Amino acid sequence: MLPTSIEIANADAPPLADWTPEQQIAQMLELCEAQVESATCESDLAVDALVKAFSGLAETARALKASAATFTPEQRAALGDLDLKKQMEAIERQMTSAVVAFQFYDKLTQRLGHVRYSLSTLALFVCDRAQATQREQWRRLFTTLKRLYRTEEEKQIFQMMVEGASADEARDHIHQSTQTIRAGTVGDIELF
Amino acid sequence: MSGASKSILAVDDSASMRQMVRYTLEGAGYEVVQAADGVEALDLAKTRGVDLVLTDVNMPRMDGITLVKELRGLDTYKFTPMLVLTTESGPETKQRGKQAGATGWIVKPFNPDQLLATIARVL
Repeated sequence: MLPTSIEIANADAPPLADWTPEQQIAQMLELCEAQVESATCESDLAVDALVKAFSGLAETARALKASAATFTPEQRAALGDLDLKKQMEAIERQMTSAVVAFQFYDKLTQRLGHVRYSLSTLALFVCDRAQATQREQWRRLFTTLKRLYRTEEEKQIFQMMVEGASADEARDHIHQSTQTIRAGTVGDIELF
Repeated sequence: MSGASKSILAVDDSASMRQMVRYTLEGAGYEVVQAADGVEALDLAKTRGVDLVLTDVNMPRMDGITLVKELRGLDTYKFTPMLVLTTESGPETKQRGKQAGATGWIVKPFNPDQLLATIARVL
C-alpha cells in the first residue's frame, strides 16, 4: 500500500536555504531511480545464479540423453516401465520453456533501464524552471521519452497513458501481457 | 537438425541472453562464438571466420545495426547470413536493419525450435 504522504526531509536537519518544491520532486524521482537500480542489481545476481544452474542442468540432461542412446535392448528392458526417451523429451520441452522464460528477464531489465532513465531525465527537467513552465518543452520531453521505448508493450503503455488512459487501465494492459507470457508466445520472425 | 561444422557468432550485451542462445545453438551442433557488443564482435569476426552472425540491436560501444553494416563492408562477410535478434519490433528500426544488410529480423523472446529452423533456412 502506498503511503498517503511522503516526507523526505529530516526533522533534525537544518532547513535548506534553497528549498523548492521542484527540488523536492527531483529528489523523490532520484530516490525512485536509486530504488529501481538497487532492485535490478540484486535481481541480476539472482538471475546469474539461476542461469548457471540452468546451464548445469542442461549439460547433465544432454549427458544423460547421450548415455541413454548407447543402452542395449537388454539394459532398456531392465528399466521396466521407465521410458527414458519419453523422460528426456519431457526434460527438453521444459528446457525450451525455460529458455523462453529467461528472455523475459532480459526484457524486464531493459524496460526498467528505460524507467530509470525517464526518472533521471524528469528530475533534471523539473529543476529547470525555464523549461518546466513551458508547455512546448513538456511536449519535447514526451517525444524524447517516447523514443526511448523500444518494446511493443512499452510503446502501447506510453501511448495509452498519453492518450488519457488511467493507471488502472495501464495495469490491465500489463496483466494481459502477463497472460501472453503464460501462453508462451514468442516474437515474430521475418526474413528480408 | 544438426549444425555440424558451422560456426555462429552470437552478439548480445546480456549474459543471460548469450547463455540462452548458446544453449540452443550448441544443442543443435553449432559452434558458438560469443561477443558482448559490436566492437568485440567485429574484432572477433575479423580474426576468425564465422558462418552466421546473430546479433542484438541495442548494445554499448557499437549497436547491432552498425555491426551488420561494418561486416557487410568486408569482403569475407558480403554473403554471410546475419540475423538480428532484438526486443525491437518497430518498422523503422527493422528498415534500418534491412538497409544495413541484415538477412532477417527475429523479435525476442525467441522460441529455440523456430530459431534453429530459421538459421537452417538461411545457412
